Amino acid sequence: MISVGLIYLVIIIGCYIFLWPVDKDKVLQSLRLSWQSLFKLLPFLIAIFGLVGLFQEFIPPELIARFLGKSSGLGSLLISAFAGAISIGPPLAAYPLAETLLNAGAWPPAIATFIFSWIAIGIITLPFEATTFGVRFALFRNGISFITAILSGFILGLLL
Amino acid sequence: MMNLLRAQWLFAATFLLYGLTFLITPERAEKALSSAAITFSSVLLLIIAVFGLVGLLQTWIRREFIVSMLGREGGIKSLMIGVLCGTLLIGPAYIIFPLLMEIQKRGARWAVITIVLTSYTIKLQMIPIEVEFLGWPFALGRALITIALAIPTGLLVEAIMEKKPKL
Repeated sequence: MISVGLIYLVIIIGCYIFLWPVDKDKVLQSLRLSWQSLFKLLPFLIAIFGLVGLFQEFIPPELIARFLGKSSGLGSLLISAFAGAISIGPPLAAYPLAETLLNAGAWPPAIATFIFSWIAIGIITLPFEATTFGVRFALFRNGISFITAILSGFILGLLL
Repeated sequence: MMNLLRAQWLFAATFLLYGLTFLITPERAEKALSSAAITFSSVLLLIIAVFGLVGLLQTWIRREFIVSMLGREGGIKSLMIGVLCGTLLIGPAYIIFPLLMEIQKRGARWAVITIVLTSYTIKLQMIPIEVEFLGWPFALGRALITIALAIPTGLLVEAIMEKKPKL
């Protein structure tokens, strides 16, 4: 993650350097605007990372995933969607966890719903989403994604 | 003071929560804090890059360009770009919230923003890893279903957002 972040950063710095001779004032303005948005959102970002840390310590995804059990059907998809919505962690950690669940006998479509909901829905990041996009968008996007998460598991269940 | 508290309520709440945790179980609070610090430092460069891009976007990219690529005028192309960005971008999704909001303000449609966040659950670069852990049928089926569902999800959220004025 650090190395990919570095690549992105180098590309952006490259853009700034490339644009400098084109219009110095505009580049300075970009920098100012970048700094302003960062400064405005930094306390929120720090708070979100703090909450993520608390959640990973006290309610780790491994613990939440236990709710999944071995059941199948719509009920288990609903539980998976809930479990995913409160889970937080790096997307890469989802795969080994999903494998563990599969080996423990969990229903594959429920795992698909869990992964979907883990990444697309964030209860913990909801306050941050609401501050950036507005309450309406945050609530409806997460709510509809919840249904989509269940639907994705359901369709996978029909296919597999 | 009250204004500051109202603006930074999330920070204050988190701070308070940590304070309580430190009182009750200091070791676990420390672990939570270090886990937060590790996550933060692993994406710090990414955060700086994202905000650097937010600034560039505001001064160098014309509004008409964003409207034509990611707005209504972009048609199906705009939705496809959304899927592509979502499946390729890395890092926790919440890091790119400010960037997405900036794009939306400058003319991108709500459907594109939602599609990026929905298709985020598929990572093209990680499909080999997913196959290794969960097998071909699962990984491929999940990728196709997610991409197919991302577009209607985006259009539905957009329809709701445009129905009434923003909250």
